[in-house]
Amino acid sequence: MAISPERSRTGITRLTGGRLVKGKELVEEDLWVSSVTGKILRSQEVFYEHQVTPDKTVDLKGKVLCPGFIDVQFNGAFGFDFSMLPEDVSLYQKGLKRLNRQLVKTGVTSYLPTLPSQKPEIYHRSLPYLGPSGARRDPLEGSESLGAHCEGPFISPSKNGIHSREVLRDAPNGFADLEACYGEQNMSTEGPVRMITAAPEIDGVRTCIPEAVRRGIRFAIGHTESNYEQATDAIHQGATMITHLFNAMRPLHHRDPGIFGVLGKAEGNERPYFGVISDGIHLHPTTVKIAWNAHPDGFILVTDAMYTAGQPDGVYDWTNGDRWVKKGSLLTREGSDTIAGSSATLIECVSNFWTWSHASIPEVVRAVTAAPAEMLGLRGVKGTLDADADADLLVLDARESEDGTRSLKVEQVYKFGTLVYDDSDEGGGL
Amino acid sequence: MILTTSPYAFLPHPPSLLTDNPQNRINAFGPTPSKPFVLGLPTGSSPEGIYAHLVTAYKTHAITFRNVVTFNMDEYVHLPRDHPESYHSFMYTHFFQHVDVDPAHIHILDGNAEDLEAECLAYEEKIRRVGGIELFLGGIGPDGHVAFNEPGSSLASRTRVKTLAYETILANSRFFGNDLTKVPKMALTVGVGTVLDAREVVVIITGAHKALALQKCIEGGVNHMWTLSSLQMHPHAMIVVDEDATLELQVKTVKYFKSIEQVAASEGLGQALPSAEHVLQKRDSVLGKLDSPKSPTAKPFLAPLPPKPELMRQVTPDLVPDSMHTRVEEPPASRELEGLETKELPLSSMHERVDSAQAT
Repeated sequence: MAISPERSRTGITRLTGGRLVKGKELVEEDLWVSSVTGKILRSQEVFYEHQVTPDKTVDLKGKVLCPGFIDVQFNGAFGFDFSMLPEDVSLYQKGLKRLNRQLVKTGVTSYLPTLPSQKPEIYHRSLPYLGPSGARRDPLEGSESLGAHCEGPFISPSKNGIHSREVLRDAPNGFADLEACYGEQNMSTEGPVRMITAAPEIDGVRTCIPEAVRRGIRFAIGHTESNYEQATDAIHQGATMITHLFNAMRPLHHRDPGIFGVLGKAEGNERPYFGVISDGIHLHPTTVKIAWNAHPDGFILVTDAMYTAGQPDGVYDWTNGDRWVKKGSLLTREGSDTIAGSSATLIECVSNFWTWSHASIPEVVRAVTAAPAEMLGLRGVKGTLDADADADLLVLDARESEDGTRSLKVEQVYKFGTLVYDDSDEGGGL
Repeated sequence: MILTTSPYAFLPHPPSLLTDNPQNRINAFGPTPSKPFVLGLPTGSSPEGIYAHLVTAYKTHAITFRNVVTFNMDEYVHLPRDHPESYHSFMYTHFFQHVDVDPAHIHILDGNAEDLEAECLAYEEKIRRVGGIELFLGGIGPDGHVAFNEPGSSLASRTRVKTLAYETILANSRFFGNDLTKVPKMALTVGVGTVLDAREVVVIITGAHKALALQKCIEGGVNHMWTLSSLQMHPHAMIVVDEDATLELQVKTVKYFKSIEQVAASEGLGQALPSAEHVLQKRDSVLGKLDSPKSPTAKPFLAPLPPKPELMRQVTPDLVPDSMHTRVEEPPASRELEGLETKELPLSSMHERVDSAQAT
């Protein structure tokens, strides 16, 4: 019997010698990904059934291999802001493309472009460009939008944060008001809007929740004055998320646990997912830990990053005539102490949370992978290393220094089964 | 039969990296694309250690499986191929995914084949076509079964569908959530005869719970209730055991096998099977000697042999120069020719001398 000749190329990469984040465990096994389908392969089946072998074997040398990060609250970075629309729309598209290619290098392989409260015309013009962008499955496009996140303008005027009060609205006519604001075509089942943050106590908002959910749009409670009962009611209506827990909402009070109260385990109550900004400025580390301990499976880390992320310190213009001051990762509205989102990257937030919580690596990683994917209804597609999921992967270098600081560093990024960023590769990647 | 307690005596030792290590059967064989090494493989808890060892050897570049063809012993019937307890999964998890064996050279019985009978026949044929199995590795059940050849299996059996013994189903239920209904009741397995046809068989037996089986297979007679005992009929079988597995053996037996090993080691002889080529060459040269006519030792007891012209052809070169000289010198009649004697024999006078000798 003769041995078969040289095999043809298969587009399969085998990642070996890594520690894979699978569920709550770090397991040492191989992962096969295909750059043709962009997915994680059922390697055993491919091996026996199709008798193919990988083109390339990459030895990860004990590094952590995890799914690509997902940021569900991300307003922009590297000088690009989703809500700053130039007259020339082609510039907006170009900026978006550049952002995607830069963002993927930070380990964020998919995200929800987030628009803080704006005038309707901004939504009408920008949203068509912000819908899910992964259909082409082109790794060279970089990070992928999973759909737009509209944060406001149906929010409480007293919990507006840096959202301009002038543009805030209510919805007396129910869902029709939402469609009028965001644009009817943007609110369809397959439309670009995939998540809305609103305050349940605002007139008409509560009644919109079931219709939004029916259209596959996730509903998040945020920027709100609502109490525990109102929040619970919103969850019964179909809300499944809390936008940046603790920030822009009433604090926990022992006689009114407020929004935080819905994280308490109670019979008949589905506990929602919740976003937490662990940039070290928005929340005290202990607060972050308490939130995580209350409901670890629902814990999602978000950056709430503004376009100043990745930019030098200074004063920056924003929409609605506002200006910001950036100092390190602290971003405030000019002339006030109001925090205006963050300038942190998601990997920094993840490292912070790991340092503060001493949770295991899989627990930490879950907060930016499986948890947001599940919240978005993408279980098994994103945020997991299970077979048939999209092969968006990160190789992380995990370090613990003697002073107790723990840090994760993104060394390599795979998008749809193709290596798009390699830390050791000067100026490499996209 | 060789019984050894040195683990992996037949495998390469990664630290040594010796390609000429006589124990390293695969490397010693020197497989090539046209002459691959055909390896029979088991599953189970005892062989796990071997696979770990082989994977390490591969990772340290002590061995390659590029030119190795494998045949597995058995597989459950009607268990999905990607079920975690299937032998496909076992082999993939513990061995195949870690080494460079070509998936096209892997043979595992398909328990989900439409025609199981045909699958078994085809398997035997595939083994035959690659020239038979060079080395069959095996494990053993506590009841002495080899592959799924349960007690009572014919010792001449070939690859076939086999119904599992109740004891085996009970034992396997621990892998299926302790639910007897989930345990496959049938399996495809190579026969005892298939295993015995391999040039070399190496069986790993470890643990006290297999001590009785080892005792039956070594000290008992050949018996189909302990199918592994058939190994006694195999020309080159090796059993690798740990100390626990020898608990039921007689001290004498253990001592005997240990002494063989020691003597072999002190004489510098390995216990490994020499390569088929080597054996064949040896055999050829022996046969050659047996077939060639015996050269006469040229020691005439009674009288000089009369010349036999028809045998004067140069059968043996050493016959020619010596005997010629003796035969010419001997005759006494040469006295008359004293005057004609020369140091070197002129070719022309040869004729005369012969003539005059006849005249007397």
